[in-house]
Amino acid sequence: MPRVTPMSPAPVRIAAAAICGGFGVLLARALLALPEDEAGLAPLIETNLEASGVKHPITAVLLNFRGYDTMLEIAVLVLATIGVLSLTVARPGTWAPVAEQADPVLSALARFLAPIMLVVAGYLLWAGEHAPGGAFQAGSVIGAAGVLLSLSGYARPVWVTRFALRAVIAGGFVAFLGVAIGVMSAGGALLEYPAGSAKTLIVLVETLLTISIGAILVSLFIASASPAEELRRRMEENR
Amino acid sequence: MAEWVTTHLPALVILVPLTAAPLAFLLGGTLARPIALLSALLSQPLALALAFTVSAEGGVRYEIGGWGGPLGIDLVADGLAATLILVATVVGLGVTVYAWGYFADRERYRYFWPLWLFLWASLYALFLSGDLFNLYVCLELVSMAAVALVGLSLRRDALLAAMRYMLAAILGSLFYLLGVALVYAAFGSIDIATVREAVRADVTGQAAFALMTVGLMLKTALFPLHFWLPPAHSNAPSPVSAVLSALVVKGSFYILVRMWVDVADPSFVPGSAALLGVLGASAIVWGSVQAMRQERLKMLVAYSTVAQIGYLFLLFPLVAGGGAAAADAWVGGMFHAASHALAKAAMFLAAGTVLARFGHDRIAGLGGLSRRAPVTAMAFALAGVTMMGLPPSGGFVAKWQMIRAALESGAWWWAVVVVAGGLLAAVYIFRVVALFLGREGAEGEDADVDAGRSPATMEWATLALALAALALGVLGQPLVELIGVGAPALVAGVGP
Repeated sequence: MPRVTPMSPAPVRIAAAAICGGFGVLLARALLALPEDEAGLAPLIETNLEASGVKHPITAVLLNFRGYDTMLEIAVLVLATIGVLSLTVARPGTWAPVAEQADPVLSALARFLAPIMLVVAGYLLWAGEHAPGGAFQAGSVIGAAGVLLSLSGYARPVWVTRFALRAVIAGGFVAFLGVAIGVMSAGGALLEYPAGSAKTLIVLVETLLTISIGAILVSLFIASASPAEELRRRMEENR
Repeated sequence: MAEWVTTHLPALVILVPLTAAPLAFLLGGTLARPIALLSALLSQPLALALAFTVSAEGGVRYEIGGWGGPLGIDLVADGLAATLILVATVVGLGVTVYAWGYFADRERYRYFWPLWLFLWASLYALFLSGDLFNLYVCLELVSMAAVALVGLSLRRDALLAAMRYMLAAILGSLFYLLGVALVYAAFGSIDIATVREAVRADVTGQAAFALMTVGLMLKTALFPLHFWLPPAHSNAPSPVSAVLSALVVKGSFYILVRMWVDVADPSFVPGSAALLGVLGASAIVWGSVQAMRQERLKMLVAYSTVAQIGYLFLLFPLVAGGGAAAADAWVGGMFHAASHALAKAAMFLAAGTVLARFGHDRIAGLGGLSRRAPVTAMAFALAGVTMMGLPPSGGFVAKWQMIRAALESGAWWWAVVVVAGGLLAAVYIFRVVALFLGREGAEGEDADVDAGRSPATMEWATLALALAALALGVLGQPLVELIGVGAPALVAGVGP
């Protein structure tokens, strides 16, 4: 039986509505008062695009001008995965497939779609250099392919020894960090790509990030789906 | 080599734990602890060197990627940042040594080490960040690591507290992010140095500051937004509790200080300083009264954190007028952040040893601890001295400076709050210390249970932190000077 949460008493609901309404008015006033001619950093980015090593401004910002932010964002993803793994009782590498008996239609479809999704991910990764795309989009497609495979019973991660799994999850971040520190030996600052090698290094970092992001998304899905029952049991034991 | 280290000092401070964290995750079980300890030891000279460099040069700026703000992201260290980094470094070493013994069950707590190193690196990154959006990323890192660490024991209460903490932390982050988006839309930059020049007190600017402040108040657990803190801080494993109370709440407070003292001043939104001060004073009273009523030691210490956070917010009304009073309040407020961090870490670590020895932390059953675990009992009492603000502790110096600032600016009522808070702290701390010194077995069979042994390193690490808090009062002059280095204009008045 689904539990029905009782409604909050009327005064609470009215107060909540008043707070949200007031917040909305404040936000609307702030937005309406925004200057219309504020160009932000766009001109500055335009000027420096040539030096960034890539042709698309968003990739230039994410991987070069503000690459430090992106590096820490990847750390957030790795951290989230470690957090989820810390809640799993089943050890990584011994996961059971999510769906024990796959639907034959679903599994045929997954077999057909998965390779295409990998090709799409590869294209998105490459496109990021001059058009919308890049590691996050490509990684998401790989992640989606992994989720599809696990739902259709293919994702029994027999190939995943515990170290290999950790290596794929953390590999993108470690590689990014390695490049960021490595370029310091050329005399520059942290993440200061030496002249001429920016494009090569950015493509290298993006490729490794794509693989890690895909693995992280699949791990988050599988790890948070299968051991929920076991976690609940463990919580009851530790009460 | 030495020159290279000096050039890249701000980056290296962050990079050491940031590199150690994924290594501890990859190499796992046996190697994680040595990696963490190595990182902790390497951080000590780096943090110290940063403090010296900041003192000598009046501040350090490091351009990541060589672009420079506002296009790139700069790391910026002034006296305030260097002070908090020093504090985080010392507390971090103490907690690492303690945790070495505490998490002896390596397999079960294998994820503690990478999570803790990520948290440590994120705190460094936060204190050094010169960019409003980068600060948001740092806040996310800090919260994500902290939430995972709270739930580490998988106990029901801990998981529920972690969930509530996560919801509060995410809501706080999103408020802050909304404010940052408005700042960028209105002033065209998120580089702090650029925003400082461009910021205007128009509707958008004020709304942005209000949003960011509400989010950060929630993350700092300022009364009445403190509801998530006591369960999260008391149900976490004790080394984690120590880091949360000592350092994590200071992270979001630090951004508030940057906003209201450095980027703008409290006149930016009229009434804001008084409001923050009143909430701070309420926190002192409410947190102390709740601490007196607790029956579990860790809950008592957690409510004490709610109260002590209140002092930090007295900073805003006290600096609002500028001049000598503001300079005194600046030193007092930051000195309080430092001494509270050391003392509160010691208190939570002591509570952790109590849990390990007795198997529970019900206050009524802790009679005679001073004979069972003398070092731990002494560490708790010494940390209490700082918490009450008695001489010669660091807490005394902090409160003294705040009272001076209040009297100088003619706002004597803040001085009353500071003194009253010290007295309230004395009530809840003496209650515990008197029990420690009292007879064993005050509650029958409880005192006979010796749940387990704990390594001596845990007790000595605790005592070292408590002594450091005490020593700040006697040997704190260099820190007072460091806090004033490159201080924002508002508080750079006549030195103390």
